[in-house]
Order: sequence, then C-alpha cells, then structure tokens
Amino acid sequence: MLTEGQKKLLEELKNNLAKSVPEAKISQSDYVLTGYHLEFSSSKVGMRRVAKEMRSRRFNLETVTAVDFIDSFEIVYLYFNYNQDNIRVMVRIRVPKDEPPFTVSAVYSEAIWLEREVYDFFGIQFKEHPDLRRILNPDDADYFPLLKNFGKTTITGEIDDMLC
Amino acid sequence: MTMKTIDDININERLYQLNLGPQHPSTHGVLHFLLTLDGEVVVKAEMLIGYTHRGHEKMAENRIYEQFYPNSARMDYLSGMIFNTGYCEAVEKLCGIEVPKRARYIRVITSELNRVASHLLGVMDFVMGIGAYTPFLYGWDDREIILDLLETITGSRLTYNYSRFGGVRVDIDQTFCDSARRFIDRMRERFKLYNDLITGNIIFIKRTVGVGVISKDVALDYGVTGPTLRGSGVNYDVRKSEPYSSYEDFNFEIPTKEEGDCMARYLVRLAEIEQSLRIIEQAMNNLPDGPIRADVPCFITPPAGDCYHSFESARGAVGYYIVSDGTRIPYRLKVRAPSFSNLFVMSKIIPGHFVADLVAIFGSIDVTVPEIDR
Amino acid sequence: MNMTQLPIIKDIYGFLGPDLLVGVVGLLLVLIFVPLNSAFLVWVERKVAGHIQLRPGPMEVGPHGILQSLIDAVKLMCKEMITPDLADKPLFWMAPCIVVIPAIVCFVVIPFSPVMQIRELNVGILLIFAFSSISGLSIMMGGWASNNKYSLIGAVRAVAQSIAYEIPLLLSTMSVIIMSNSFKMSQIVSDQSTVWNFILQPVAAIIFIICSTAETNRAPFDLVEAESELVSGFHTEYTGMRDALFFMAEYTAMFIASSMAVVLFFGGWHGPFFSGIVWFVLKAYFLVFVTVWIRWTFPRLRFDQLMNFAWKVLIPISLLNLLVTAIVIKVL
Repeated sequence: MLTEGQKKLLEELKNNLAKSVPEAKISQSDYVLTGYHLEFSSSKVGMRRVAKEMRSRRFNLETVTAVDFIDSFEIVYLYFNYNQDNIRVMVRIRVPKDEPPFTVSAVYSEAIWLEREVYDFFGIQFKEHPDLRRILNPDDADYFPLLKNFGKTTITGEIDDMLC
Repeated sequence: MTMKTIDDININERLYQLNLGPQHPSTHGVLHFLLTLDGEVVVKAEMLIGYTHRGHEKMAENRIYEQFYPNSARMDYLSGMIFNTGYCEAVEKLCGIEVPKRARYIRVITSELNRVASHLLGVMDFVMGIGAYTPFLYGWDDREIILDLLETITGSRLTYNYSRFGGVRVDIDQTFCDSARRFIDRMRERFKLYNDLITGNIIFIKRTVGVGVISKDVALDYGVTGPTLRGSGVNYDVRKSEPYSSYEDFNFEIPTKEEGDCMARYLVRLAEIEQSLRIIEQAMNNLPDGPIRADVPCFITPPAGDCYHSFESARGAVGYYIVSDGTRIPYRLKVRAPSFSNLFVMSKIIPGHFVADLVAIFGSIDVTVPEIDR
Repeated sequence: MNMTQLPIIKDIYGFLGPDLLVGVVGLLLVLIFVPLNSAFLVWVERKVAGHIQLRPGPMEVGPHGILQSLIDAVKLMCKEMITPDLADKPLFWMAPCIVVIPAIVCFVVIPFSPVMQIRELNVGILLIFAFSSISGLSIMMGGWASNNKYSLIGAVRAVAQSIAYEIPLLLSTMSVIIMSNSFKMSQIVSDQSTVWNFILQPVAAIIFIICSTAETNRAPFDLVEAESELVSGFHTEYTGMRDALFFMAEYTAMFIASSMAVVLFFGGWHGPFFSGIVWFVLKAYFLVFVTVWIRWTFPRLRFDQLMNFAWKVLIPISLLNLLVTAIVIKVL
C-alpha cells in the first residue's frame, strides 16, 4: 500500500538511477516480504555515481555489508530517506573476489567505518578509502573471519595454542 | 573530509597523547579513546573499538535460526528485549508468518518497558559522568522495579529470551498488568524529583548547554539515529515512519529538540520515557484476547531470499539483514548497530572541547559498546 | 637551682617550661586525634552518602558499620606500597608525608575553648593560611613524581585551583579581621560573644565556605580527583598507606576548614549555656556534615568554569565586601 508520494518518488528514482548506471537491473520489490521498496543490482561500475545521486535526493546510507558467495562477493548498500514518503533502496553489486569497488566515503562520511568493517571481515579493499585498517579484529590479524573458507591461519593457530 | 591516521599528525612538543583507556571508570563499556591534547583541549580523538568482539555474525552462520535467540539479546544488553523481538520479527518477515494480535501487543508492552529501563540507565550514567552520583541511584531504584516485573514473565533480568518465531513464549496475566500500572504511576511522580535534582541545577546547565553540538547536517551525514538524532532536530523514529508490531494502533509523539547539545539529548530521553509509559498504558487497556503464538514449525526453514527489518531500540534504528539459502541455517546475518554510527560522529564533534566535556558528550550519546563490537 | 633563679631561667629559656609542656602534650593529643578524626569522617561520609542515595551504607562491621574505617585502615596497612619504575623516587616518597604535616600543624593555633589552645600566636590566622598553601606543593610533587599523565593533569589543575581560590578566601577573612582589629584567633572569638560574625558578614561567610570547599578539593570543585575523568588525579599511583595518608590529609583539612569557619563566623566556642569545647566541636562537625551533603547533591564544575567562577565572580564580590566593611567601620 504505497502512498502517492512514495509511488512518485519510486518512479523518479528508477529513471534517474537507470540514467546514471544504464547496465543495472532495477526492480520494485515487495516491501512486506523483503523490507525494501526498490532493488538495484549491478556490477561494480558506478557506485560513487549512485551514492551521489542518492545524496542529492536526500537519502541517507543505512548500512554497507557484504555476503560471501563462494566465487564472488555481493556488496550491499542500503539507502533510506527520513522524510514523509520513506523509501528503502537496496543497492547490491556482484563483484569478483579480486576487483573491489570504489569507496563511497567521499559522499557519506559514515561509510568510512562501515567499509572498514567490511574490509576487516571480508578482505575487500575499497579503492581510495582514506583509512583502511582493521576495526574490530586485532590489528595484527592475518585472517578475514566472515569468509566461507575461513580456516586455520598462523595467528588463529597461536590463539588456539594459547587457549587449549 | 579525509581522516588521517594517528601517525600523520605532526606531533610537536605542545601536543601530547592521552589514552582514555579501555579500562576507565567513566567510559561504561570497554572503549578506548586515543586523544591528542593541547593542554586541556582535545585536538584529535580516535576511537579504538573491538575489545568485546565476540563474532555474533559468524556464530549465526553456524547455528540454526532458533539457536540465535540468546545471541540477539546479548548484543545490546540494555535493550535486550527489543533486539530479541526484532530478530523474531525479521525472520517472520522473511517467512511471511502472521503474528497474532495479542502477541504483538505483549511484545510492545515488554519492549517499551525495556526502553524505559534502558533510558533510565543511559540518562543516569550521563549524569554520573558529570559528577552527580546520587541521581544515578535514584534512577536504578526505578529500574529495579522494571527488572523485577520482567523477571516474573521471562525469567531473566537483563538478557531476555522471550519472543519466539510467531509470538511470545509465556502469556502475561492480571498481576503483571497491575504491577505495571503501579509502576507507571510511580514513574510519573518521579519526574518531578529528577527535574528538581538535575534539570534545574545551575551547574548541570552550565556543563551541558552548548556542549557537544551535533548539527543536523553532520548527524545525517554520519548516519546517526535515535535520541541523538532527535536531539538535533530530525524527528525520525522507526516506530512512526515504518510501524511494525502494531505500533500504528497507539497514540504517541516523538519528542524532538533543535539545539543538538547534551542538554537537548538528555531532555529528549526523559520525554521519551513519558511517551513509552503512554504506549504501555494504551496497550494494556486494549489488550485483545487470543493465542500468543502462531503455528510455526519446530525448526523454521525460510525460503531463499533476503530481508531487511528495521526497528527502534533505545539507542537508534537497528536493522537485521538476513540472507537465507533455503536451509535451516542462515547464510548471512548482519546487524546494523546504531551505536556504531553514533560513536563515529564523536570523532567529528570532539575536537575543540575539553576532556571533561568528552565524558559528558560520550554519556549523552549513550552508546553500548558490545553492540558496536558485536 | 633555687627558687630565686627560676625567673632568670624563664627569661633566658623563655619557651621552655610550662609552654613546652603544653606544646608537647597538645601535639600528642592532636596526633592521636587526627587519625581517629579521619576514620570517623570517612564513616560519616559513607553513611551520609548511603542515606542520601536511599541505601544504608556500611552496616556489617560493628553496630551500623562504625568499625568499618578502622578495619579499612588495617587493610590499607597490609597492602603493598607499589612504586612505579620510572617514578621520581625521593619526591614520590616525600609527597604523602608532606601533605599531612601542614594539616596537623594548623591545629596548634585553633582555640577550641577559652583555655584550650596549644599556642597563642599574634598572627594565628596567617599561620593557618600559610600552612594550607603548602599542601599545594605536595600535590604537585605527588602528581609530577608519579610519571603518569593523569596524575600530572590532576596536579596542575589542583595547583591552579588552589591559587585561584585562596584570594577570595583571604579577602573574606580580611573583612572579619578588620572588624576585630586583630589577627589573634582568640580575640576574634571573644568579639563574637554578643552576636556571631555570620550575622554581621553574611557575604563573607558564604564566600569563605565556598572557597574552603574549593581549597580542600571537595565537590562541586573536585575536578582534581574527578573519578569519572582522571581515575584518581594525583593520587592514582599511590597504593596502600600512602593513599591513606592523602585521604587523611584531605579529611583533616576539611575539619580544619570547618573549624576556621566556626572560629571566624559562627562564634567559636560560644554557646547559649556551658560555653566550651563541646559547642566548638558540635559546630565544626555540623559544617563538615553540610560539606558532605553538598558533595553528594551537586554535579561537578568543569575546570574553566571553576576558574572563571573564582576570578570573575568571587574576587570582585569579596573585594566589594571588604570595601563596604571598611567604610562602615570608619563611618560608625
């Protein structure tokens, strides 16, 4: 049950996002089942353009996260606006493991820490990030915990030896 | 704005570094501030987090959905009931389960009680950081009543496992409602005590007015949510903009203040306690009869797909992002913690303040460190 | 030696004889009183804090916990006195000793009753203020010698605060001295036999009480040892009996400040009946109770606000008060 304002905003967003990144797949999704209104899937090109577009429409970045599918990463950005007609936009990009995208921290400052967390857990090194370091794991860790093939490394072996 | 690392600063003889270290009486939570000071004025503040990282998101990938119930409450232990309920709602959204109305109302009552308890603690910790030790104990006296009340139905005082997929575990009865009503009356009388003791105190006013101002643009740029955002003039509350769990049935307001300083955030939290009491009253007055749990299989198997559920905890907008591959174990579960962004904004607003103000600002933003570290 | 030679002996060795006996006995009594007083005041503070915060406070050891402080003292004596490796050892060792000596010396000139005063000095008040300023030196020593940034910040704050608040303290005392025309403490007390100075000089009394709270680093001026920010300020690194000495000095200074307020403004040992030491002690402990009450009610001032309050508010008011006093005395 979308209101008039929301429908209008969705249409505008679809057009503008399609213009800024032509090769993306944009579709509306069922809000009741998925929790977001608009879904945008693409390859890694154009994340900064999308971010600038959302910023100009006064959307805010809710979160940045990643999902590890065995042969690729899917990096997810969730945008939301604080106005009367609230729309959630899920932007997801499927990238190969060794081709990270550009950072959006120039547009949204909170992405500095959010992308640090994604790097910390997945090893995705966002390009041109101002401060890419470990944030939650120890600074000398040589592992990336949330990868599906996370296993024994030197440091985890040492920690296991200490604990057991 | 680009942030340099601590090595890039030209550390001349005037500046010195101070660790408001992980163990400290006033940073409630294990949080490490690396401050660069010029005399008493902070020039740069960096927050080092991760001391209580326990790997909840990795744990979720190795457990079935039901086994994650305890984890959900332990992330933000002060709003444990709200996190627990939110996790259940996220999975129910993914599966398309409809929760009976009585269960939704019970979830609202317990979540709002939890919110009052969390705000009492947050406000009183802030006041204790400024130096007034006595209101801290008065607030905890009130909080004890809520914890005892919730213990009668859930069995725990802080980390609750009350909600289940499809509803709640145990029904509430008339004694619970009577005790809750008595608590609401008592709490309404206590506001006068808090206002006399704290809000009108000239020293408190001098320590908090104009200190730690977060402007609206900075707040929205850094993704700040919750009472911290509402103290800066943006009236955004997930319960009003995207009502979940039948919040649309209740009549309540979102207190907002324009100034964005510590006093504004403190007043917003106090006003939110009153609004939560209103919601509890309305929910108890209109509590429908019926089942308290929908018919849900023993081990839930959501269809493949993903889902994002957002709800409002005492600290801000939380989000559960669940990716399911059709099995009984989640493929990815991400928790969007509000304290993560709320803390990051401190590195922008602290430079220029005194060290004493840092403690006040940190208390007024009211973060919970385990929620940041997960 | 026969009796004709005794006056000659008194002339030559004037200070020996009865004065020396009084001095030695008095100091011994003071040395017994100071630790017991600190223990008692610690218990009072914990009980008052507890009752203000809706809890009973220490109840286990002795009836209503009255032996708690003695047991705590025993515990502190058993603790290891740790010295940090890079600390400046002579200064580190000297600081707790030096902080407690001025507090004990100040007892010498306080008139507890018409006859109980260890030594009558012409400049009694000056001695007390001079010695309480020495505690600032020991705080600086403690903070510097600890080789700890927190301690240094705390010590620097303490010295600045101490210097700033001494000025209105002395100015308000000057108003009383002008009225009594003498620096002698016993003279000032005798002049209050009809009406207490508190009625004649209310502004000076309030300023004196505020400044003495600030001088002894009590809340709301306790930024020096603000537990929420600096862990413990200049006595972070001190353990065991050294820490206990700092506490003893603080509570003794609190008692001295209250005694000074009683002597200067609240009539000293005067009372409606049976004037003497009982009234003095009652009034002094009442003021101590008020100080403790204030600590647990108000939040803490930030450091720049504290300094602004001293320099921009208290000093002008106390100067004005002094001026008005002088004019009134001259005119009337």
